Amino acid sequence: MKLLAVLFALLFANAAWNPARADCPLDLGRGTGLVIFSDHYMIAFRPDPLRIEVGEPFALVFNVCTKSGSAGELVVVDAVMPEHKHTMNYRPSIVSKGDGRFRAEGLVFHMAGHWEISIDVRAGEEIERLTHDYYIK
Amino acid sequence: MRRRPLTAALLASVLVAAIVAPAAAQAPPDWSEAEIRLVGRHGPWPPPPARDPSNRISGTPAGIALGEHLFNDVRLSGDELMSCATCHQAGRDWSDGRALGKARADLDRRTPSLWNVGYSHWFGWNGAGDSLWSQSIRPILDPREMGGSRERASRLLREDKQLACGYERAFGAKPDGDDERLLVDAAKALAAFQATLVSPRTRFDDFRDALVAGDREAASRYGLAEQRGLQLFIGAGNCNACHLGPRFTNGEFGDIGIAFFVRPGEVDSGRLGGLAALAASPFNLLGRYNDDASGSSALRTQHVRRLHSNFGEFRVPGLRQVGRSVAYMHNGGLATLEDVVRHYSEVSPDRLHSDGVPLVRSLGLSAGQSTDLVAFLRSLDADPPPHPAPPPLCP
Repeated sequence: MKLLAVLFALLFANAAWNPARADCPLDLGRGTGLVIFSDHYMIAFRPDPLRIEVGEPFALVFNVCTKSGSAGELVVVDAVMPEHKHTMNYRPSIVSKGDGRFRAEGLVFHMAGHWEISIDVRAGEEIERLTHDYYIK
Repeated sequence: MRRRPLTAALLASVLVAAIVAPAAAQAPPDWSEAEIRLVGRHGPWPPPPARDPSNRISGTPAGIALGEHLFNDVRLSGDELMSCATCHQAGRDWSDGRALGKARADLDRRTPSLWNVGYSHWFGWNGAGDSLWSQSIRPILDPREMGGSRERASRLLREDKQLACGYERAFGAKPDGDDERLLVDAAKALAAFQATLVSPRTRFDDFRDALVAGDREAASRYGLAEQRGLQLFIGAGNCNACHLGPRFTNGEFGDIGIAFFVRPGEVDSGRLGGLAALAASPFNLLGRYNDDASGSSALRTQHVRRLHSNFGEFRVPGLRQVGRSVAYMHNGGLATLEDVVRHYSEVSPDRLHSDGVPLVRSLGLSAGQSTDLVAFLRSLDADPPPHPAPPPLCP
């Protein structure tokens, strides 16, 4: 079911945003990924390893695309548990891999439950925050 | 309509209650698929042997043998009166049987058991150590504990023929003149030994395996109070939010409402101080003594963040063998498991300020629920086999 949702998101993303399609590959190398949008950005990402385990470090691999076609930058990645209002105990570092690709290293979800991943991006002066809800059992 | 006399109705009710209530109390709890999944995550046990990539002799027989000899060697201490085994005794579940540690000085924290320590990623109550070997250096050098030195440790490895031979077998070279490196190598051998201390299987493990396998007959051997306590642990009690996985810990830190003050005017800042000590340590995993060329073992150290909320947080302990301790909490302030359960049942929300839904809250347990929870926790205990004397290093 989850996989179907992801595939749907990928198809929908590509269909809805044709201008960026050619320059914004959403397959991040394992045939799967999550996609989030705003008016200005489309971001595809996936965890590495694909399955996040409670208490185990993981990375997020990103492809950041902009509607204008200008270069997008991943500025900050973080996560909170909204219910308990606490962050991760770790601050991820971000490495640019070129062509809008980034890798955020050093995330750890130390508890099961609802985590809100925040992704701060910019393509110019203004930083925009996109979020994604992740539930880990 | 004819009404039955009240006394007859009451009598009937009492009789029904007398027949039904014990049966209900004795019936094994139902386990939903979701609960079985949660219970399954507390195993299997034992896990594969712990391996530490930052320690090149982790898991090697020669490293483990050298470490066990050093663990019992009083010559590592400044006055040659204490070894690691003085406070971490095999016959006392690798602790000291005291509420608070006592070495060359009285200490402010309880001596943690070494059971399953090789599977941790933070060490010490405040997590000042990011590897078992770096944590093993701290008590050797601490003047309140063993009061040793790098010179003393390195001299021991160089001058004692058995230890020098054991060192050469473990590390593939004779001990050289670099005192600090030899101290680190001694600690790596100590860590290799400690990582072998894995607690035995328990009645809980048998139940967990039976439940996951759908073996109702085997599962029924687990006590009803224990089963009810386990349901509380993974359910309304939400204990598994932090006490998760096969070791019953997420390996991180929490503030559970224990007093900050160790004596009037002096506080134990817990994790906050631990992170400062970690950053200042030349032996942390970002330093030159990490044997892991991939760098993956240093990920947590590289990314850990210091938060104001770290003040008063202490490491979430694993719960295997928990009932065999003589005291509880980092400060040894609670004497029994019953006291611990009472603490969680009655903890004051005023002490645990939280902006969101607090993770630790007063559970308000009934007497029966408290008894069940204690019964479950005691099912995580088992008698370990006697620990044999270490083999000679170089017979």
